[in-house]
Amino acid sequence: MGRAEAATLVFLILFSAFSFLPLWRTVEVAGMAVFGWLMAALMLVSPALALIVFLKKRRR
Amino acid sequence: MIVERVLVLLYLAGCIGIGIYASKRVLGSRDEYWVAGRRIGTTVNSMAIMASLASGGSIIGVMGLAYSQGIPATLALFAGAVLGFPLASVLVARQLRNFGRYTITDFLAFRYPHAIVRYLVPSVIVISFTIYIVAQLKAAGITAYALLGIPYNIALAIATLVFITYVSFGGMIAITWTDVIQGMLMLVVVVGTALVMMWRLGSPAELMQQATSAAPELGQVANQSVASYLGYFVIWATAIPVIPHIVMRVFTAKDAESARLSLNLAMLAYSVMILAAVLAIVPVGKLQFPGLVDADQVFLKVMEAEFSPLIRGIAVAAVLAAVMSTTDALLLACSSAIAHDILGNLLRDRASDRTLAVIQVGSAWVIGMLALFWAFSPPELISRFYTAGVGLLSASLFVPTIAGLWWKKANRVGGVAALVTGAVTYVLVYFGVLNVGVAPVVVALVASTIAMLAGGLLGPKESPEMLQKIETLHAPGR
Repeated sequence: MGRAEAATLVFLILFSAFSFLPLWRTVEVAGMAVFGWLMAALMLVSPALALIVFLKKRRR
Repeated sequence: MIVERVLVLLYLAGCIGIGIYASKRVLGSRDEYWVAGRRIGTTVNSMAIMASLASGGSIIGVMGLAYSQGIPATLALFAGAVLGFPLASVLVARQLRNFGRYTITDFLAFRYPHAIVRYLVPSVIVISFTIYIVAQLKAAGITAYALLGIPYNIALAIATLVFITYVSFGGMIAITWTDVIQGMLMLVVVVGTALVMMWRLGSPAELMQQATSAAPELGQVANQSVASYLGYFVIWATAIPVIPHIVMRVFTAKDAESARLSLNLAMLAYSVMILAAVLAIVPVGKLQFPGLVDADQVFLKVMEAEFSPLIRGIAVAAVLAAVMSTTDALLLACSSAIAHDILGNLLRDRASDRTLAVIQVGSAWVIGMLALFWAFSPPELISRFYTAGVGLLSASLFVPTIAGLWWKKANRVGGVAALVTGAVTYVLVYFGVLNVGVAPVVVALVASTIAMLAGGLLGPKESPEMLQKIETLHAPGR
């Protein structure tokens, strides 16, 4: 496993753990709990980051 | 409802046509039947993977859940699968594609050669996936009744006979072609509807602001325990790398890099579809139809209010496509567990190609018909049971698979122990025999890991030949 891939997995797992902190269930931004925004962000960041890392590695 | 019914009939006829056409190529060749000759390209495979994962729950269910339980809780359930894709792409895709067989059982039985592995893994797959298929059939019957006015049992029988026909005769090639059409239909309908809503009524931020002002509960975290959200999240995150109907897609890829790229692209398409549904369509539904008793109707209500019968007909076909694209893949994976993993292993080289073809087709019909009869009067909580079934798969297969590929001390003792411990712990915690206050899948994964570590560290060392073979699976570009 390359370093970039390992770093991506660690980042995504930490991001997920951070999102599940109880604090984010009560704080709201633009009408929605921060927990919801973090889950939405995870759904975009996860595929985008994995794709970028994969394509960069393949180009090299 | 005439237009809707005609469009759905045309769609079902098309699926059967594809199955019959594909049968000329696939019957008589195991490579063609189970893994489409291992030459599926990246774009086609990514759409097929997305369609296999996106079930009826990903259109009707996701919007109903967001409407009734709020958007944050809904996204938590679906984000787990999205995290599962990079795990699959990095941890298993290249290695399993390089392994070059047909099923996850093939890999586990090779890595941990023991009868328990050879027969327990397919048994767990058959049990979990039969429950999953029944849940999907129930969704198809309810949807067809609600949208087309066709009685539940008749709709169920028609839909089931159609997909058993094209799966049993057309194998993976028929499933891939139909899944590509079904996946495109789903994406176009959901993302297209979301874009129209945004064009007519405002950006997602504006829609969310309006909807949460009128109904604050839409943006709040529903009153459930963190353990409950975390359980669903972990189940799907750990299921994607090992769940058989996705793993079989890895085996169909033309090469290892294509398999990895397909998973990444599928994940992107899946995320876009779920976010479009939840952040653009649900707020409109909440604003326009605030008091729905049956929350699952929200998508159909929005379609009814905003679009012509022709577009609504296409939307109905998209909902059925979502159900069928998952069910067909589940059925093939389930029949491969019986025909290839169990009977194929018992018969080995004694069966002729013709006998194997009969077994392949026959096992799909047996499982499909059993699921159909069960779905005529399904248990009320079947939808909850299917996630539990997927949890059982994750709990049993995740640790042995990942350790088998990445840990040099993983051995037969550890593999068998991790498999059995994961399965037994999950069942005990799920049914309340063990009560530890944590989601069953989390407890089972921890127990499975401990069993693997104990077996690997205390048991006999793995042979150099096995380690050499595993090493070759990590090589790029085979």
